Amino acid sequence: MSAVMHASAVTPAACAPGTPLYGEVTEFLYREADLLDSGRFGDWFELFAEDIRYDMPVRTNQFRAAGEGFQEVAFFDDNYASLKTRVKRLETEFAWAETPPSRTRHYVTNLLLAPGGRADELAVRVNFMITRTRADRGHQMFTGRREDTLRRVSGGQLKIARRLILGDQTVITNSNLSILF
Amino acid sequence: MPAATTLSEAGGAGGAPFTQLANGENLAEIVRPEEGLISRRIFADPEIYAMELERIFGRGWFFLGHDSEIPNPGDAITRPCGVDPAILLRDDDGVVRAFLNSCRHRGMRLCRTDRENVRFLRCPYHGWSYRTNGELLAASSENHYGEGELDKSELGLIPVARLESYRGLYFATWDKNATPLDAWLGDMRWYMDIIFGRTGEIEFVGVPQVWDVDCSWKFATDNFTDNFHVFWAHQSLVQLGLLPNFPDFASHGHMVTAGNGHILHFVQGPPNDEIYMGLGLPKALWPRFEQNLKPPQAEIAMRHGYSAGTMWPNFHWLQLTSAGDMESKPVGILNLRLEYPLSPTRTRMYSWFAIDKAASPEFRKISYETYVRTFGPGGIFDQDDMENWEECTAAAIGPAAKRHTLHHKMGIGRKPDPKWPGPGIGYSDSYGEMTQRAWYGEWLRWMSKPLGSIGRAANGGARR
Repeated sequence: MSAVMHASAVTPAACAPGTPLYGEVTEFLYREADLLDSGRFGDWFELFAEDIRYDMPVRTNQFRAAGEGFQEVAFFDDNYASLKTRVKRLETEFAWAETPPSRTRHYVTNLLLAPGGRADELAVRVNFMITRTRADRGHQMFTGRREDTLRRVSGGQLKIARRLILGDQTVITNSNLSILF
Repeated sequence: MPAATTLSEAGGAGGAPFTQLANGENLAEIVRPEEGLISRRIFADPEIYAMELERIFGRGWFFLGHDSEIPNPGDAITRPCGVDPAILLRDDDGVVRAFLNSCRHRGMRLCRTDRENVRFLRCPYHGWSYRTNGELLAASSENHYGEGELDKSELGLIPVARLESYRGLYFATWDKNATPLDAWLGDMRWYMDIIFGRTGEIEFVGVPQVWDVDCSWKFATDNFTDNFHVFWAHQSLVQLGLLPNFPDFASHGHMVTAGNGHILHFVQGPPNDEIYMGLGLPKALWPRFEQNLKPPQAEIAMRHGYSAGTMWPNFHWLQLTSAGDMESKPVGILNLRLEYPLSPTRTRMYSWFAIDKAASPEFRKISYETYVRTFGPGGIFDQDDMENWEECTAAAIGPAAKRHTLHHKMGIGRKPDPKWPGPGIGYSDSYGEMTQRAWYGEWLRWMSKPLGSIGRAANGGARR
């Protein structure tokens, strides 16, 4: 089916758990996580659209009235070229923060799917929990919410057009952010 | 820790027993900066850490925040002062003040957000409330206190002993006898003028990134004055073409010891490449150097692409010219850093992005994006450094390692460059460990001096 036909068919009802679309997006997210946990970063990068913005704002500790505490300053603020640079860096064997590599496990849950801002896009909200173990050290954990935009491109496959990573920690207690989210 | 009054005022380098350790060793014997020999014992040892808390963090000058972070009356941010939690705020009258972030009653943390605008500071425990100038406005259940049991005039917030600023940077100390900030910074101010005043004023943008690393705070400080790690520690970026592919690329410059442990370097980029001139700032800003700086300062700003400086012990600038990805051109970024220990083997890092107020919106954006892609915990430069600090620390814990030294001898026989135009002592060739040796020399001086006797004005020209 054509991308536009498929996209124009998306209604809130078509996004509900149990629908084919919900199942397709779930599998997409699971396969994406598997690429990361298998260290197939180049294949992972192929999932992104060229106008990707991949960002993770700094969070501050605030009273409820001040909102969630996310700031304009970020931990990540990547475009296609800089995300590609991250991936290429991890492939050099000299990226010491990940050489030898960490072991990661990306858990993606609580999927909420909705029609996106464009006819060919879907709004995807998930919770994530990522564990990292490195060398002889114990588990580190990263948790939060992710807000993705998935876009149906020609050929029918999905691409990640936007990834907003909303972490729970105001102080990153895990040495660095050398893994991918 | 005994009270200051019981300590010998005759202590100094080698002033046993003040520097005597429980195992019989003396700090002045195992830390010999003038020989480039630093014992591994000092990095992860709980006994030495306890000494550092009192002798360095209890009485040094520490960066708290920048004027631009608290623009309005009532603006408050929470920061460490040394290792103690502090509040930096602008009071109702516009006066900047700093207090221990702790209620006078039961010691509860008062300001419990990272930043907010406050009318009063009210303790969540019993409701004691303070004015922004620190005065106790109201306690709780005041009618149950008898005559003389609650003297509110004596129960204001605990202020830092001194709060002073230079070029919008607020520093504070818990030592009322501390050398005044201007004298403590001494010759370093001449170099701070270049970094913080080259085009007018500097602005800290937004909030810092904050993260914890399992390392000794001293491996972080050591790294910020180290140029020759860049080629190898950041080799991944050499491979990708973000750094020049020859080992000496960051050696064309000067190392400077500016007195009181303050250290810095200025490094040139590839010759005749305008991108690396003027500290990586846009050409449109270069004429401002001469308007804001003395001629030799302006020339230093003009000729260099990189600089790092440490205002002893733990506040740093990093002025770098770098690309943020494989397809972009290098641009100048200004990064400020602070690190302080949570334990002998755990360190909290702060990293700020700052920008010249005179910069265009376009430059501000590209400089910020380049910063966030390269520095901070997610930065493709920075993250590899933390791996080194953690593994250096892990290897410094055991008894066998503690019997050995690290090696800091590079350039130990190098003569100062008499032509260096700035104050302090300049050495040509920006690969060298004279700055680390000066830093550890100051560390030993603070660790060796009895409490209350550390004050001294900087005189960079008289010390190596």
